[in-house]
Amino acid sequence: MGAVVLVARLVLAGVRRRRAQAVMLVLAVAVATATMASGLSLRGVSDALYERTRAATAGPDVVVLSGESGPAVTRALASLADDPDVVAHHGPYRVVHAGLTARGRTSNVVVHGFGEKPGAVNRPLVTSGRWVRPGGAVLERGFAAALGAGVGDRVAIGGRSYPVVGIAVAAATSVYPWGAQIGPGGGPVDYSGLAWMTRSDARDLASSRDLPVTTAVDLKLRDPAATGAFREAHRELPLVAHFHSWQFTAEQDMAILRNSLPILVVGSWLLSFLAVTGVAALAAGRAVEQTRRAGLLKAVGAGPGLIAVVLLTEYLALALAGDVLGLVVARLAAPLIASPTASRIGEAAGPGGVTVAAATALAVAVAVLSALRPTLRALRTATVTALGATARQPRHRPWLAAWSALLPAPLLLGLRLTARRPGRAVLQACATATTVMGIVALLTLYAQPERGYGLDGSSVLPNLRGEHDRRLMLAVTVLLIVLAVVNTITFTWTTAMAARSNLAIARTLGATPGQVSAGLSAAQLLSSVPGAVVGVPLGTGLLSLFAAGNAADPPSSWLLGAVVATLVATAALTALPTRLAARRPVAQTLSAESA
Amino acid sequence: MNGPAAVVGVRGLAKHHGQGQSLVRAVDAVDLEVPRGQMLAVMGPSGCGKSTLLHLLGGLERPSGGEVWLGGRRVDTLSERALARLRRRSVGFVFQAFHLVEELSAAENVELPVLLAGGSRREARRRAGRLLERVGLTGRAGHLPSQLSGGQRQRVAVARAMVNDPLIVLADEPTGNLDTAATLEVLRIFEELRTAGQTLVMVTHDERVAATADRLISMRDGMFADDTYLAGSHGRGLGGLIGLDG
Repeated sequence: MGAVVLVARLVLAGVRRRRAQAVMLVLAVAVATATMASGLSLRGVSDALYERTRAATAGPDVVVLSGESGPAVTRALASLADDPDVVAHHGPYRVVHAGLTARGRTSNVVVHGFGEKPGAVNRPLVTSGRWVRPGGAVLERGFAAALGAGVGDRVAIGGRSYPVVGIAVAAATSVYPWGAQIGPGGGPVDYSGLAWMTRSDARDLASSRDLPVTTAVDLKLRDPAATGAFREAHRELPLVAHFHSWQFTAEQDMAILRNSLPILVVGSWLLSFLAVTGVAALAAGRAVEQTRRAGLLKAVGAGPGLIAVVLLTEYLALALAGDVLGLVVARLAAPLIASPTASRIGEAAGPGGVTVAAATALAVAVAVLSALRPTLRALRTATVTALGATARQPRHRPWLAAWSALLPAPLLLGLRLTARRPGRAVLQACATATTVMGIVALLTLYAQPERGYGLDGSSVLPNLRGEHDRRLMLAVTVLLIVLAVVNTITFTWTTAMAARSNLAIARTLGATPGQVSAGLSAAQLLSSVPGAVVGVPLGTGLLSLFAAGNAADPPSSWLLGAVVATLVATAALTALPTRLAARRPVAQTLSAESA
Repeated sequence: MNGPAAVVGVRGLAKHHGQGQSLVRAVDAVDLEVPRGQMLAVMGPSGCGKSTLLHLLGGLERPSGGEVWLGGRRVDTLSERALARLRRRSVGFVFQAFHLVEELSAAENVELPVLLAGGSRREARRRAGRLLERVGLTGRAGHLPSQLSGGQRQRVAVARAMVNDPLIVLADEPTGNLDTAATLEVLRIFEELRTAGQTLVMVTHDERVAATADRLISMRDGMFADDTYLAGSHGRGLGGLIGLDG
């Protein structure tokens, strides 16, 4: 018990002493775990929303569709309701394929001819307005949202004008824009919205304009899980029929999230890497203090085990706090991320057990990787040495001194500063490469040609999946950039602090504050240049693992611009810390170093 | 102020820290002129302001009041950049703690001021070689500071201070970290510098070291308590002067 209290006390003291590092670790881990948890939760949230919609709308277990219409088709589909495994049904009903124009935007639409009174199966849930009445149309909510249409608006369907009397959701079809499950004649479908009319209105619409009509019937089975067996039992229908099970429709809902999973999960890996590099840079900047503290603990009798426990617990506690924060953020963001259309209803459930476990494993990995080096250093250093620990002596590199002597003073200082701590320079390069990878991915998404959801692929209705992918990638990239900004400032400041003595000496020898400041910026840029350059092929390579085979590459000018912008931003970000470092009083620094 | 023969001069120079009850007058309205070629020692107890005075003369600290003139130019009003440029060409510093760049060899340390001043690598190498020869460290040019004794490190620091031919060398307790033999080595170099006409201001708390100077100022509580011109120190051997000749 006493040991637990001691560890807790030491951990709290450590956190208090290194508040900036603690806050950075918590936030960096929170960002990484929130992203990962959001990615891993997508399927669960999507399934939950579908289930909720299905329950609220008496969604069918199977929708059987025929590309044809007419009495024979209707009879064949109606015969399915006689199967003893079918406990309820709705239809057969007409599905009219037309064009719909609202607010100047035209899209494909499928119009389902429904009764004015809801049936036992497939009862669309009206979310605003009222259900169909003669002369009025109801729009599916996801479709209406994309059109910007609401109750009271007028829409033209097949050239005829209808008032929108209601907005509704249903689980019998996939989310917008996959309202048409099959095309006319059973052929392929284009992006389509869904609308409902009365049966007679749908018949009149189809006949007046000679529009293509298909037929569908909704079935409720005795055993909802036995959709496959039902389909197998009806292979001999006297027509070409398409059996769409509720499982199939639920799976189809994920189509709009197809790219979201890799964006979020791979994004979380990149964010985790930046978290580790940032915290490691801060920890390296405090290595001497950490080692002295370990020496002090050893001197008063603490064993290596206790010291390791204290250091690891400190990092683990902070990482787990970040993990909890990240999971809460993921829970709050889930509806936005997992439901880009308004076609489903319900609250998204929180991350599941597997997601929580994966996010926590990520947080623990970040903590252990960040804590490993300071812990090992503290354990390996003898007590007396640790008590008097000073910064590790940089190596003498004669070739570098000779070569840098050819350069102007700021570059000379920058190169020598970089060479003092090559490990830190490698971390900075890796962090820059990671950020550029995110930017390359974002640019690549923007470079993809895509069909809009309007008529014939018109972009009057935007491609929701593409927009959603870009929004997510933008969010991940912004988070990467934010962490990279914090890291760059941290790297610059720790470099300046580690070299404060040398920089003060340079000042006494006549280096101007501007030269010192430029030297510090140059040190960061010298690390960032290879990172930015390598980040482009790495980002392209990473994307190729997930992108479609025919994915377009972004123009070279975009990639070059990204590299240049990254380097300019790095230079700008280093300006403030380097100026502050360059203005430290020289006499005070030298006196402190002499003491 | 700062007549043609004076390299450095100050008038009413003051440096205060804090305010109100906690006001500390590190340097309190002192006047001083150091003629060309003079070796001036400043003595006093710890905290009397002698190091602060040195920092003010070299432009490492800004005065709270008064004027500082160097080479006929008022420097206390200069920008940081202008002060840095002035230090490059006109001031050489020697510190008690040596303040060498640990990852650079002796020669590379000495080359540094030349490179910072925009000199070529060849020029820096030539001047460093000459200075290291002058301080007797040609054979140690490639050694790191950690591979040198305290006296050798200080000689490297002196060479570095001299490499741009400064108007004045400011030495802050240059022998404070050295044993007697190393102290003698450094003082011999200072003696050579004085003979060559180099102006030198040295802060020390060691009376024997101060006795090697042309002039001795005693400081107390930020003010000059005494200003004495020492006669006869040049005629005697340094070792005898500081009691090392046996």
